[in-house]
Amino acid sequence: MADTEKIIEIEVLRYRPEQEQEPVLQTYRVPFTDDMSVLQGLQYIKDYLDGTVSFRWSCRMAICGSCGMMIDGKPKLSCKTFLREYYPGKLRVEALAHFPIERDLVVGIEDFIGKLESIKPYIIPREPRALEQGEYLQTPAQRDQYEQYSSCINCLLCYAACPQYGLNPGFTGPAALALLHRYNADSRDQGWEARREVVNSEEGVWRCMLVGYCSEVCPKGVDPAHAINQNKVNSTLDYFGVLKFLLPKGAAK
Amino acid sequence: MSARKPYVRPMDGWWRRNPFFMRYMVREASAVFLAIYAVILLAGVFRLSQGAAAYEAWLAALTNPLAIVFHGIALLAVAYHAYTWWKVMPKTLPMLHLAGRRIPEIALSAGGWAATLAASLVVYVLVRGV
Amino acid sequence: MQTVKADVVIVGAGGAGLRAAIAVAQADPTLNVALISKVYPMRSHTVAAEGGAAAVTRADDHLDHHFNDTVHGGDWLCEQDVVEYFVAHAHEEMVQMEHWGCPWSRKEDGHANVRAFGGMKIERTWFAADKTGFHMLHTLFQTSIKYPSIKRFDEHFCVELVVEDGRIQGAVVIEIATGEFRLIQAKAVIIATGGAGRVFRENTNGGIVTGDGMALAYRHGVPLRDMEFMQYHPTCMPRTGLLFTEACRGEGGFLLNKDGYRYLQDYGLGPPDPSPRNKAMELGPRDRLSQAFWHEQQKGRTIDGPFGSVVNLDLRHLGEAKLRERLPQIYELAEEFMGVDPAHTPIPVLPAVHYTMGGILADGKTASPLPGLYSVGECSSVGIHGANRLGSNSLTELCVFGKVAGIEAAKFAKSVAISNPAAIEKQAEAAQARALGIVNKSGGTERVAVLRTEMAKSMESGCGIYRLGATMQATCDKIDELRQRYKNLKLDDRSKAWNTEWLLAIELGYLLEVAQAIVYSAINRKESRGSHQRLDGYEQRDDANYLKHSLAYYAGDGAPRIEYGDVKITKSKPGTRAYGAAGEKAEQEERESEGAGNG
Repeated sequence: MADTEKIIEIEVLRYRPEQEQEPVLQTYRVPFTDDMSVLQGLQYIKDYLDGTVSFRWSCRMAICGSCGMMIDGKPKLSCKTFLREYYPGKLRVEALAHFPIERDLVVGIEDFIGKLESIKPYIIPREPRALEQGEYLQTPAQRDQYEQYSSCINCLLCYAACPQYGLNPGFTGPAALALLHRYNADSRDQGWEARREVVNSEEGVWRCMLVGYCSEVCPKGVDPAHAINQNKVNSTLDYFGVLKFLLPKGAAK
Repeated sequence: MSARKPYVRPMDGWWRRNPFFMRYMVREASAVFLAIYAVILLAGVFRLSQGAAAYEAWLAALTNPLAIVFHGIALLAVAYHAYTWWKVMPKTLPMLHLAGRRIPEIALSAGGWAATLAASLVVYVLVRGV
Repeated sequence: MQTVKADVVIVGAGGAGLRAAIAVAQADPTLNVALISKVYPMRSHTVAAEGGAAAVTRADDHLDHHFNDTVHGGDWLCEQDVVEYFVAHAHEEMVQMEHWGCPWSRKEDGHANVRAFGGMKIERTWFAADKTGFHMLHTLFQTSIKYPSIKRFDEHFCVELVVEDGRIQGAVVIEIATGEFRLIQAKAVIIATGGAGRVFRENTNGGIVTGDGMALAYRHGVPLRDMEFMQYHPTCMPRTGLLFTEACRGEGGFLLNKDGYRYLQDYGLGPPDPSPRNKAMELGPRDRLSQAFWHEQQKGRTIDGPFGSVVNLDLRHLGEAKLRERLPQIYELAEEFMGVDPAHTPIPVLPAVHYTMGGILADGKTASPLPGLYSVGECSSVGIHGANRLGSNSLTELCVFGKVAGIEAAKFAKSVAISNPAAIEKQAEAAQARALGIVNKSGGTERVAVLRTEMAKSMESGCGIYRLGATMQATCDKIDELRQRYKNLKLDDRSKAWNTEWLLAIELGYLLEVAQAIVYSAINRKESRGSHQRLDGYEQRDDANYLKHSLAYYAGDGAPRIEYGDVKITKSKPGTRAYGAAGEKAEQEERESEGAGNG
């Protein structure tokens, strides 16, 4: 390694449940090159400086959703955030906000998984169709209605961005509600009826205060704030019993 | 005894941790000024119903220096409120298309801002003319 | 140790594992399925697949074409009866995925669209933008939630299979969050743990692709077949190895050397058309393209980049609009990771390890020689890829054989009972002790990362695109050495909850076993075929001696025993793999000779 090799200081919020009562910051000096991501910095720490730092990762290309963490207080994917942006200062890496810390940079996400399962995240067909009949027809325009919302990688940056989720963990939350809307908006799905209870509930769309930070941090352009808030109109119309007159038979907007 | 001991971090002071949240709190607080101003206007209408003298007294109270300072701050707050309101308004609408292309949210917001400015200008001209 | 009872255990919840789980649930909802995964299912590496899934769809296409493309692409090392089954069941699986909500890209009339792909005669690759694996995985995961008989064990790491009375009877797992062990009793086990690309230095794979299930089956005497065939994908990002999908070339991208020349025309893939022509130029098979890169590099015609030699993937002529619509993820990868705008600048790319053609020996019904043990997906060698896989065949494989594995495992589970719970528990306790031995060991001196890096560098050197006996031998020696040094590991982390250094150490053990199977299979195959190419006197394909599968058998501390098995040939006799103009000529001659025979 050359003399001119750059070193950056990475401050990691450590938490070892068997050792500590509370999380504590620990600083590491990491040699880096301009193309290195924060994830690669953490891997260097684990490989050569301190094997006890735990964090989730896999694909390295922002599609598996494993590596979400707070980097200088902002929710980001560590594989897609680059060390050069923080140099020569130090950067602070902490577990994703609004989730309980299990260990170091690993948070417990069972609450989200439960919510994902609760929104009926599968096609409830509007019309039956046998396999022999081939695929349902769906035009590119119909596909555009929901494609954006189907791009969610479940990285949970939006939950870390949502102060409501931090204050009221019962909130169904941005990614789960965006996925709910993805299915409602799919022309092959029955839409509104099957999922209305989740949408209409207090922990559904109505818990959202339109802070909007979720859509700001989403690395995939899903725009969960849009998915949730356009359904506030639907929910209101449903409350007054008029939504069914506006929707085509069996379908959702 | 499981080795798990999840740690829940406190939410105290959450809105101070990020400029985005600070701006959100200012946005929400601007509604308070809007509400107070609405009450002042309602008071004026009520005074008007009580006759010319009552109405003149209400108008005179508005020239008090404290009232002028309040109105100055309220004007800024309501302007920020209008700006942020139109900024997020497109999130409440379904995807809109024109001639097969998606109408970008900024176009909808810009339309709102333009309409707000135009309406304000009309009201101003009308009031000045009286 | 806590014991859980299940009927079918599935290790791995990627595309193959999820499809198998759904198949079991549909075949018999009364069977308990335990779906074990060391990561949450949506993190499985299926998520990173980009290009598409092949299935005969167009009216001018035919099962025989898909069959021939696959068998030719595999350099005749495919089990032809299995390939016949595969191509015949591909389309219905793609329709099934669509019914489950997969957002396939569409034509204007609403039907699913298909695109061209490497080595395929006619367009037949179904795709969902350039994130097909992502969409398929999320569709399968979300659909699996409908079935209450599927019980998931998310973030549970499998450390052992339990074999008793000559058949599989369970799996031992670590609950990652607590470090606690669990025995999951099963009457049938499906392994769907993915490939082993992480044995190499530069690869497209995620960190979790460490050959876990392959190593576990291997240690129990199940042979690993055709391990020497590792696919180098020709267009990957320098240093990270991240994938730029073949669809870039399907949509019309060019590969240019340092002179801006479409060099593939010099390697039997020409002549160069301005628009993509199936099975020619940039749409040739992956092994040929990677080999062409190597030759260009030898001739000094590649470009020297900061991370080694590269060539240019030129997408400029596609235009920004088409790139953003058809290849949005590629656009993002190039821009964000490399600072390259593909609409205006060519992307520097090089070949990197991408796919493991070989794997656990599986017959056409995904069954291994060990009763009750099935394998499906990249971890298995069911026989459709042979010596080189065609792009977009593996996503289809997950669905076609995922269903088969589920149905077969369900049938087997109903026909047997757990025989000796006490003996099974004893084996589980032993597995626990072995795994704990790694984390509790004192006096060790070796670091996980050091051994892993040495393995990866050695594999890259010995088992690259072109191979030499001497370097393969050096790699054999190195892997033997590393397996010994592995016994002397020293971990920093001795905790129980979320001790990922411990899990990395166990994965390293799996990687070393699989690496050994790969390199010993390679050095013993004294011919060149598909993606196993030699430059040391064995440059030709040798059907007389080597039209056979390699079978690597675990031999404990020593080197694996390599045996050979027959290849099932039905309709397609081994011929020359010809692409480009030569391929068209060969097809023409074949048609004429068939016509003459019929006349």
